[in-house]
Amino acid sequence: MRLTGVRRFHWARDVEEALSLLDAYHGRGALLAGGVDLGRSARTDLEGLIDIMGIGLSYVREEDGRLRIGTTTTLTEILEHPAARRYLHGALVEVLCRVAVPPLRNMATLGGAVVSAHPWADIPTALVALGAEARWEGEREEHALVEELYRQPFRAVFRRAVLTEIALPPWNGAFAFEKLSRSAGDIALLNAACGVGIQDGKIAWARVAVGATPARAERLTWLEEALQGEAPSDTLWRQVQEEVERRAKVGDDRRASAAWRRSVAGVVVRRAVARAAERAAR
Amino acid sequence: MKIYFELNGVPQYPEVEPGESLLQLLRRLGMKSVKEGCGTGDCGACTVLVDGRAVRSCIAFAARAQGKRIITLEGLGTVNDPHPLQEAFLDAGAVQCGFCTPGMILVAYELLSRHPDPTPEEVRTAIVGNLCRCTGYRKIVDAVMLAAEWKREGRWR
Amino acid sequence: MAVSVAAKARDVVGQNVHKVDGPALVCGKPLFTLDMDVPGALVGKILHSPHAHAMIEAIDTSAAEAIPGVACILHFGNVPRIPHTTAGQGWPEPSPYDTVLFDRKVRYVGDRVAAVAATSEEAADEALRKIRVEYKVLPAVLSVDEALAPGAPVIHDEPDAEGIYDAQRNIAAAVDIPVGDVDRALAESPVTAEATCEIPYLQHTPIEPHCVIAYFDEDGRLVIRTSTQVPFHVRRIVARVLALPMSRIRVVKPRIGGGFGAKQEIILEPVAGALALRTGRPVRIAYTREEEFVASRTRHPMRVTVKLGAGRDGTLRAIDMEALSNTGAYGTHSLTVLSNVGSKTLPLYNKARHLRFHGKAVYTNLPVAGAYRGYGATQGYFALEVAMDILAEKLGLDPLELRQRNHIRVGETSPIFEKIGEGREGKAQIVRSCALPECLRIGAERIGWKRNRGRRRREGPWAYGVGMACAMQGSGITGIDMGAATIVMNEDGSFRLLVGATDLGTGSDTVLAQIAAEALGVSVDKVLVYSSDTDFTPFDVGAYASSTTYVSGLAVLKAAEDVRRQILDVAAAALEEAPEDLELSQGAVRSVRSGRAVTLADVGHRATYVVDQHQIAATASCVAPESPPPFAAFFCEVAVDTETGLVRVERFVAVADCGVAIHPKQAEGQLEGAVVQGIGHALYEEMLFSGRGRCVNPSFFDYKIPSALDVPEVEAILVPSEEPTGPFGAKSIAEVGINGPLPAISNAIYDAVGIRLTRAPFTPERVLSALRSRTG
Repeated sequence: MRLTGVRRFHWARDVEEALSLLDAYHGRGALLAGGVDLGRSARTDLEGLIDIMGIGLSYVREEDGRLRIGTTTTLTEILEHPAARRYLHGALVEVLCRVAVPPLRNMATLGGAVVSAHPWADIPTALVALGAEARWEGEREEHALVEELYRQPFRAVFRRAVLTEIALPPWNGAFAFEKLSRSAGDIALLNAACGVGIQDGKIAWARVAVGATPARAERLTWLEEALQGEAPSDTLWRQVQEEVERRAKVGDDRRASAAWRRSVAGVVVRRAVARAAERAAR
Repeated sequence: MKIYFELNGVPQYPEVEPGESLLQLLRRLGMKSVKEGCGTGDCGACTVLVDGRAVRSCIAFAARAQGKRIITLEGLGTVNDPHPLQEAFLDAGAVQCGFCTPGMILVAYELLSRHPDPTPEEVRTAIVGNLCRCTGYRKIVDAVMLAAEWKREGRWR
Repeated sequence: MAVSVAAKARDVVGQNVHKVDGPALVCGKPLFTLDMDVPGALVGKILHSPHAHAMIEAIDTSAAEAIPGVACILHFGNVPRIPHTTAGQGWPEPSPYDTVLFDRKVRYVGDRVAAVAATSEEAADEALRKIRVEYKVLPAVLSVDEALAPGAPVIHDEPDAEGIYDAQRNIAAAVDIPVGDVDRALAESPVTAEATCEIPYLQHTPIEPHCVIAYFDEDGRLVIRTSTQVPFHVRRIVARVLALPMSRIRVVKPRIGGGFGAKQEIILEPVAGALALRTGRPVRIAYTREEEFVASRTRHPMRVTVKLGAGRDGTLRAIDMEALSNTGAYGTHSLTVLSNVGSKTLPLYNKARHLRFHGKAVYTNLPVAGAYRGYGATQGYFALEVAMDILAEKLGLDPLELRQRNHIRVGETSPIFEKIGEGREGKAQIVRSCALPECLRIGAERIGWKRNRGRRRREGPWAYGVGMACAMQGSGITGIDMGAATIVMNEDGSFRLLVGATDLGTGSDTVLAQIAAEALGVSVDKVLVYSSDTDFTPFDVGAYASSTTYVSGLAVLKAAEDVRRQILDVAAAALEEAPEDLELSQGAVRSVRSGRAVTLADVGHRATYVVDQHQIAATASCVAPESPPPFAAFFCEVAVDTETGLVRVERFVAVADCGVAIHPKQAEGQLEGAVVQGIGHALYEEMLFSGRGRCVNPSFFDYKIPSALDVPEVEAILVPSEEPTGPFGAKSIAEVGINGPLPAISNAIYDAVGIRLTRAPFTPERVLSALRSRTG
């Protein structure tokens, strides 16, 4: 890798400096966090790189049951952080340890994963399901659910803003993550993150997101609603599988066909929901 | 631009280009153990330790070495005085062509420095991102297990 | 692990010594091609064709040449046209001369259009962008069926190509070898079985891509430092292509980062040489990973059909094997890989009296196939061993027993040995060593064959099954492969071993040092190995066809025996005894009569400085006298996720007979590595192409090879035999291991869920679709 157009490298000291540098390049500058995607790219349009690893956004905190993670925190740092490990009995860790491979997790940041938002990526699927909230600073401080963010032209937003924090809400229940890939360390051919809350033996709430379809993760709100009030059972899970297989929005790419994705989408969601319910009932 | 960092314990003040990779810088500085196998961070042959963490130098920016402690395979041991991990790779027959070996040993070094008593499965998990097309991995796992045993016996420096 | 037998007492052979190049490798010393900095070297880069099939109407390099730092641009307009083959094989070359350095016609996406040398990467890249090429796009042929269809575009219509079987019909090579009357025997066989198996485009993916540095020595000779398996063939072919006397070229092979056949090709060397000659400056070229996929070489994609006929007792009567091979845009290794599909498989089941092997290697406008570990046998065994599984089921016989009844044994032969050779007739040979019965027994026991087969064990959605396969290969090419070795004694009693044999990561330098050390009665550290420098080491065909341990090893042994005789003569004079009474071992020559001794250091010193001064040294050559096959039995257990189609290899047992393993750990490593490559072939690997012939997954991100978590701990077991023609009883191990995984895994999937996977790789998609269509 050598980004040939780059003339300057800056180490920003705080968010404000990062923003003003970004502004000064008029679109020909880029924020550099983990740098995995930028380093893999062959971009020739960039003149300035703005390192944001030193602007104070590497942290993991627990606050009122919420897990707040600074966006330059690496995936390894999150995986090793006791609060992140505790969160939802390891639900976040379950996802992150299946993202890429250790040396890349040492580099990649949570913020980078949210901003890059590869359609096949696992982290967006998990964050959508978990109802994670993103905070960013541009002209002003803003926040939105990650799910909502992805419905906006978010790439344009982050050309002029710094994503600062991802906050994960507490849930009275449990989550599970499923991923199908060709080999270990591979990207997903399909992934699903599901959460379930159980009250009096019935499903009180459900969250279901499916990603790498091959499009980016979307919630299956129809399924979430349908699950409410139902009692977990093998029959229910079979119905989940059949309905998802029938209704899932899937497509082709060179890694897998729509037909296969359709067949397995139901399986993956069923497995994740059933596993989450089992955990929630514990 | 000039940066400062520590390379295998020795201070360096090289001139770097803002767009160049850490791999290019390190090879320019004579660290030929840092191999380019893919240039996209997918194979792991270019792995080096930055502040004790294994990273892919082919997709890392050289400028980011600023203020860091970097270890390449040259920093572990020498032919006449090899590091126990290097010895273990020899003893276990974990080297065939040797092109993935530098990255493999450094990933193992990071693992054992944090987790001196891994299971074979944990070793496999740690090296999952480092591709080897020669060995089939078994003897690499054996080597890391052997080195871990030596470490627990206090044979590491 | 090695099964121990009462082996002859040997000091060095059979010992797991440290690899001779190991200490430097584990310390990251600058041993590889590009680890040498050549001051002032230009960066060479290649412009690849964006079209699968096109004529270059015009090429304008003026804008590119105007870029500061650009020293030279080569293309068809300014480079002489010399038809050659890029296959690094012996002479006469069995591959067609259908390649020129730069042609007016491009034949696949990735074909060479031009080469640039510039002072920096950036300048070279910019030059590539600024070369203006006008193409007239021609209809492209993207499959063997299209290529063979009447009226198909002709890929090689150039008049100066030589050795193409039928250029007008896009057939690079064809073979038809009958033994007996196979059609009749099949028709008359009470039980028959048939399988057609298909292998896609697969790439070797050595972790070090192809690379080369060309520079001039003090005398102005061209030095080519290159990542190659065949340094002497590089010298011969570069001399031809650049019209240089061979004596003006030196080829140096440093350490190689893996090859697996991909580096049995002369691809970058003539380009770097031409750029260096044109500019008078050193030039280095390094393929990117993408170029490695698209513009180096691949395994020959192939469709192989096997028809078996057997008696009710399970004795094979007939085998008909037909191969349709895709050689891609050029015919490198087209005939020989095709021939090997039959020649390395059919002799395994020599109970069948009626045989036919026939096939074609066909040109397409796709990447160029070449040598790849297994070399056709891998493709052949996939179909043969799946067909055997089908036959066993039809016979109601245990597949293990079917193999046991039909495989070749010591003292037996097959007519195929004589009928099919390296692109011509072969040589008759009998099998002198074969531990396959033991391999089968041990492997079956280890996997729990009787206990686990046919059980259809289920755990939730996962279904488990076991499968097996057998294979053999060869050890070098009989009568063609030649290796030579020189051993020189130093005055301190140590030795220099100079070999043309090419260690590409296999450990052959160590194996050859062990053979020399054993014969000379010293430890391995007393043997300093220098391998593969055409100026300093004697000739060797190079590392391919599983030849090095056997062929080059025999040369080393002969040279060592000669040196040993010379040592005994000097010692006899020193001790004033007869050479017949002397024994050489443990670094000294002892008289069995008097018990008196001189050390090798004494002998070296005496010969160098004291009496009758002369250099103790010898050079010996060996032409492969035979090609003794190594044998292997493969057993595996797979788990199939019946809901998603995902396949996991839970266990893999590979039991091989490579004769006496000179270095057991390295031999196991060869077997383990080959099996894991084979698992990759079975589960993940496939180059995919767009409708216009462009490879769409040329990266490790998209083309998956197995990682440490994707494969089980391969149980590699060596069952020794004693090959009487081999050095210290050795034969080969490098290739045989890759022939087993495809059929063994396919057969295990059948055992688990009752579906036959005949098209590799066995992706979740293919498995699930087969499962669904079976259940309707």
